[in-house]
Amino acid sequence: MDARLRRVNKEIADCKNDKTSQIKIELIDESPFHLKGSFPGPEGTAYEGGTFEVDIVIPESYPFQPVKMKFITKVYHPNVSSASGAICLDILKDAWSPVLTLKSTLISLQSLLCSPEPNDPQDAEVAKHYMTSKSSFEDTARYWTQIYAGGPGPKDKGGKAGGKDGQDEVAIAGLERAHVDRFESLGFQRSKVIDTLRRLNYRGANVSQITDDRVVEELLK
Amino acid sequence: MGSDYDISDDDADYYDDEEMMDGTQDDEEGDDDTESADDMDYGDDFKVSTKAKRKPYEVEYESLSQQAVEKLMQRDVDHICGIFGVEPDTASLLLRHSKWNKEKLIENYMDNANSVLVAAGVTLPEPAETSARTHNITSSSQQQSSASRRPATRGSKLLGLASSSKSGVKSPSPPKALSRTPSRKTDEPFVCTICFNDAPDLQTLALDCEHMFCTDCWTDYVMAKVRDESEHSIRCMAEGCALVAPDQFVRTILLAPAGPDTSEEEQAAKEKTWDRLQELFVRHFVACNTNLKFCPYPSCTNTVSCPSAASKSSLTTVVPIVSCGARGIGAQDSASSMSSSQQFVNGLGLKGKEHKFCFGCPIESDHRPVICSVAKMWMKKCRDDSETANWIKSNTKECSQCQSTIEKNGGCNHMTCKKCKHEFCWVCMGPWSEHGTAWYSCNRYDEKTGVDARDAQSKSRASLERYLHYYNRWANHEQSAKLALDLYAKTEKKMEEMQITSALTWIEVQFMKKAVEEVDKCRMTLKWTYAMAYYLAKGNEKDLFEDNQRDLEKAVEDLSELLESPIEAENIPTLRQQVTNKTVYVQKRNEIVLEDTAVGFLEGRWKWNVSVEGFDAPEEA
Repeated sequence: MDARLRRVNKEIADCKNDKTSQIKIELIDESPFHLKGSFPGPEGTAYEGGTFEVDIVIPESYPFQPVKMKFITKVYHPNVSSASGAICLDILKDAWSPVLTLKSTLISLQSLLCSPEPNDPQDAEVAKHYMTSKSSFEDTARYWTQIYAGGPGPKDKGGKAGGKDGQDEVAIAGLERAHVDRFESLGFQRSKVIDTLRRLNYRGANVSQITDDRVVEELLK
Repeated sequence: MGSDYDISDDDADYYDDEEMMDGTQDDEEGDDDTESADDMDYGDDFKVSTKAKRKPYEVEYESLSQQAVEKLMQRDVDHICGIFGVEPDTASLLLRHSKWNKEKLIENYMDNANSVLVAAGVTLPEPAETSARTHNITSSSQQQSSASRRPATRGSKLLGLASSSKSGVKSPSPPKALSRTPSRKTDEPFVCTICFNDAPDLQTLALDCEHMFCTDCWTDYVMAKVRDESEHSIRCMAEGCALVAPDQFVRTILLAPAGPDTSEEEQAAKEKTWDRLQELFVRHFVACNTNLKFCPYPSCTNTVSCPSAASKSSLTTVVPIVSCGARGIGAQDSASSMSSSQQFVNGLGLKGKEHKFCFGCPIESDHRPVICSVAKMWMKKCRDDSETANWIKSNTKECSQCQSTIEKNGGCNHMTCKKCKHEFCWVCMGPWSEHGTAWYSCNRYDEKTGVDARDAQSKSRASLERYLHYYNRWANHEQSAKLALDLYAKTEKKMEEMQITSALTWIEVQFMKKAVEEVDKCRMTLKWTYAMAYYLAKGNEKDLFEDNQRDLEKAVEDLSELLESPIEAENIPTLRQQVTNKTVYVQKRNEIVLEDTAVGFLEGRWKWNVSVEGFDAPEEA
């Protein structure tokens, strides 16, 4: 399939020549069929300032089958798995068209960051967070961008007081420090409290709806 | 009368209930009527004749070859062509999109033809990007809204846009095989946006949307879609374009005469892809039609039509075991290169296996006499490890403190849990300390709780034993059926032996083969009678059923024994006599079981001990 090689080489070259889009594609090893793409987080979003890296695998029958893409950089987004980086996007599946290129697909990923689709989530917990409290979600997404994608530091509040590894588990989980402290003081392990509260989506308006008993019950499981 | 007649007349049978539009079909319907009158008179090559003397346990069905199904499809296509006045390719796209539901298609089309055409990928949606290129569509759609009474004219106008520039009458939208002349737009050389090839002599193709790509990319795309994704709907490659390639277009791509630089393999691969696409079309048609089912045997492309088992409710009274008529598994091209003895084994064994399957459920074997839902229930029960749980329940108890499961394998009733060291009494499950001085004999045995616990336990044990009784017999017959291959080989040897040691000719030793086949068939019946008996409610009916079952079983075992007996020259004549007699008897017994059960279903005689879909709930015992 030299057509595939020709096309991929051309796509990589085109991307190099295009200085305006800020989208980069580079080789990971010798093979042109396993690549790394990166793009800046879209402006005006919680991802602004970060650089997001994407693992790209070109399948055998490319471009007639879609490329396989997943985030290398951890992203806090309803349509991206917070654990594996797997992406839920139609053009990577059945809406793929052979005219789409690596660059246009990466641009689509960039715009996916602008407009999450929480009704068709890849990561249900993140999607719930997004639906419950958008502002809290954005704080967390911003924090993730800062920690994992090299985004700018916190603007106002000294959010990362923990400072052990420069990372704050509570903020990564998108929770309120006061809540975690309260349940921790009941004698539960901090990591377990964070895990449980995250699973229960103990955020925003939900806090008043989840009784302490329910939380303790979950913690005792 | 040719076979074309037969087909159309089959068709009339299928679509009786979804009859065509009134008034549009007068002459055709007239034809159909006369045809169905002499329906019985002429047979058909691809029909398995079951009409003649159908037994109560057999269903009426027909086996259709791929070509026969294609003719059925063609008939629907012609029908739509006639009504809408569109080209066959357009009709095909419309029918495929509407899942071959003609009625609904006609209704929707009459309602809003344009939206149906757009949804099926025949035409572009209205707001066209440039007026010059698409004025044909807009004008025709305008016409549609005004002239709604004359579907024929409208349809052909619509299609006119596709074939206007072509001379061919038959091909609705032959691909525009332009040798790089997208001259209209620009004078820049054409570059295929998929492979970035810009050779000046590049062959290009485009659908009506005029999204132009090179022929090689189209070919690769179609091949990937058909072979890798098993997709029959080939959409335009452009992003967001919903136009679907008509058959003629795909045909040109795959079956175009080989160019000078196409290798033979490539050409063969293309032809194979085209054949595969035709099969996908047939499969899609069959899947959309409840009267039809595709033969589940690997690489078989036959279809069976069985309208009497198409509805779910009919499956409570019939067991629609059908056969597509073909035999053997996999490609059947090796027959000629085999020796006669090999052919014999193949004739009997796996290779010669008839493609029998159940029309009503996914079980790929003859599960008569038991109906689909009960057979499925049984299979599930056998597969589930619910029986493991049953065993655990009968043989073990749980530690009252740490809930570990404990099997008591000997010793006294004073149990000490290995895990939590809890000491308790096996009989009453209470803590051992409460037993006071009455060590090693639980004086609380007769207390009510103890009695209840014991009852519950023995009940569970009884149900387990009952299940095992049926399961072991079922499994035994299944195992015997698996060993049938060995038996075939052994019998073959014996038959050869007989021909040598006695004066019997080849044709005269065929009684052995017949006996083996009969045993195999009866074991299959017997196997499923155990599944049936397991679920039958207690009563006279069940007793009668089990009597029949016992008689058949006895006869089968007798015959099996005869088949296994050693052959001695002097008693061959007696053996032959006995085997022939027994075979006939076994056959009769098998018929009785199958017939009686089938009649029972029709009469609603069978009652179950569990609730079965479509039957009354079992009476509480």
